[in-house]
Amino acid sequence: MQRDVGSLPLAPALRARLVAAGFQTAQELLDTGPCGLSKEIGISKEEALEALQVVRQECHSDATQTAGAPGTSRKCTALELLEQEQAQGFIITFCSALDNILGGGVQLTKITEICGEPGVGKTQLCMQLAVDVQIPECFGGLAGEAVFIDTEGSFMVDRVVDVATACVQHCQLIAEAHQEEDHLKALETFSLESILSHIYYFRCRDYIELLAQVYLLPDFLSEHSKVRLVVIDGIAFPFRHDFEDLSLRTRLLNGLAQQLIIIANDHKAAVVLTNQMTTRIGQSQSTLVPALGESWGHAATVRLIFHWDNNQRLATLYKSPSQKESTIPYHITVSALL
Amino acid sequence: MALLRAALCPGLTAQMVPLLRASGVRTVVDFVSSDLEDVAQKCSLSYKALVAVRRVLLAQFSAFPANGADLYEELKSSTAILSTGIPSLDKLLDSGLYTGEVTELMGAPGSGKTQVCLSIAASMSLGLKQHVLFLDSTGGFTASRLYQMLQAQAEDEEEQLEALQRVQVTRVFDVYEMLRALQELRDSLSQQVLSSTGPLKVVLIDSVSAVIYPLLGGKQSEGLALMMQLARELKMLAREFSLAVVVTNQVTRDSSAGPLKPALGRSWSFVPSTRVLLQSKEATSEKTNTRRIASLAKSPRQPTGIQVVLDVGSGGAQELSPATPTQGL
Repeated sequence: MQRDVGSLPLAPALRARLVAAGFQTAQELLDTGPCGLSKEIGISKEEALEALQVVRQECHSDATQTAGAPGTSRKCTALELLEQEQAQGFIITFCSALDNILGGGVQLTKITEICGEPGVGKTQLCMQLAVDVQIPECFGGLAGEAVFIDTEGSFMVDRVVDVATACVQHCQLIAEAHQEEDHLKALETFSLESILSHIYYFRCRDYIELLAQVYLLPDFLSEHSKVRLVVIDGIAFPFRHDFEDLSLRTRLLNGLAQQLIIIANDHKAAVVLTNQMTTRIGQSQSTLVPALGESWGHAATVRLIFHWDNNQRLATLYKSPSQKESTIPYHITVSALL
Repeated sequence: MALLRAALCPGLTAQMVPLLRASGVRTVVDFVSSDLEDVAQKCSLSYKALVAVRRVLLAQFSAFPANGADLYEELKSSTAILSTGIPSLDKLLDSGLYTGEVTELMGAPGSGKTQVCLSIAASMSLGLKQHVLFLDSTGGFTASRLYQMLQAQAEDEEEQLEALQRVQVTRVFDVYEMLRALQELRDSLSQQVLSSTGPLKVVLIDSVSAVIYPLLGGKQSEGLALMMQLARELKMLAREFSLAVVVTNQVTRDSSAGPLKPALGRSWSFVPSTRVLLQSKEATSEKTNTRRIASLAKSPRQPTGIQVVLDVGSGGAQELSPATPTQGL
């Protein structure tokens, strides 16, 4: 395998030294061995051994992938992907108009971003989704669990209790109407206590805690394999104040976006983020645009913007790979978002 | 900058290498550019042996000048022009995607880059029966949307399923994974493994800025080095195996009111030979806006500024009824 030295995941200073010393391919590194390597570049033997381990791992994973072993590779044909997508469910929102424009509900393995002004209903929708993901399969849900990462402190447990009670009542009505066995069995485990116990809540106070939490999330999700929803309520808040270096902010945000899409993909979960709005002052007028800049707009796969029109709340689907742009009205009631 | 090693070429023995290194000749470049009489005296080696080694090293490591006419003949026989399936986009690109070159689609979020890529994949796989490799780094590849586009173009279900099988999707969310995927592609093409890849002519990468952006900025230069490594891999793939490489890129602004410009900076701007900017048309009275304006920002063959209108509606990206290219701003 002729892997170029410049493309190996080693520390940058080490990589620069290797290139300056004249090594070009990974094979040359492996041939030289740790003693020769430490002599040539002037690093300790332990560092040379570590570097060679990394190189060997890279070359071996290359070899296994070309030999056809799947492992953790994410290669497949579009036909296989289509079958996977059709078998996947959606997380319904109980607002049929919203489900329609999203194409069935919030999609798994994708990042959905909800932007809106204060008070328009973003946290309400997040709490609704955290309850809806737990609906048992016989009622059309995913029977999953939810992770809720809160950076603004806007998670109100009593509101979740209201939504969960309404959801359980709704399922009970369906069970009474249809009178099927599995419905009744599922209702035994689907109660207010079980819903609340399957929402895992994390509170992050600044961006460092948020980044750390997201980096630790894959381990958490491997232990709790039933999690199908990760909500980050308020991704803009920790990044909007106290940042002198804007290029560092862009870099951190983009790294975060890539981490989240890896989590969404590997664990078949939906990631929902909420964002704030900011004003862009144009030549003649000012417009409200989502915060965190232009490059953040590319991070989310699906973007929903909630806004007001006089006294009516509207939701616009702004970006989606499979649905058209459209706008629908919605209300917030005691039991749900409708 | 290859290091001098014992078995690099016949004539360069293991005893010569440490002697040469002691007098400061470490790489091939040092060897061929140094004065051999001096080196022979300092290292007490035979002048004839050194001249012989230099001749072999030059033959092995230098690039030979090529005749322009020969290059033209080679280009004519190896370059293919692949139609994208969207007639107005073909007009913009001077009749289609040229193999051996990197084409870039750039635009703001929601401007239709992924849709155009899916449309190209659909028409190449269905119309030209070519295998397509799609490297997805944003999670935006939706197979059901591709299926929708195929259904709009072909009636026969068998054909649609076959076309779906010809599109291979690899999800890479990290620059190292992307480099590894490109390396694997290079290995499998050079070994001519036809079983799974088939006649591959198009590689679509959506998007390249998503994997590079986490490395740039923050006063570190390793990001630039990896970006240029990626650029080199793409160009080598395109040139050596006559592939058409399509990448998508973001746009940024300098300040909150400045004009849109392509992301990844000036260094990346030299990598693609053709650049197309996608923008949303100003929303008119209709509620759903599926129209996009594609303008040519950089091209080796066409004048820049040409604009065409595309419709990224249900049937895939199509041209709007009679699309006449207008001279843009």
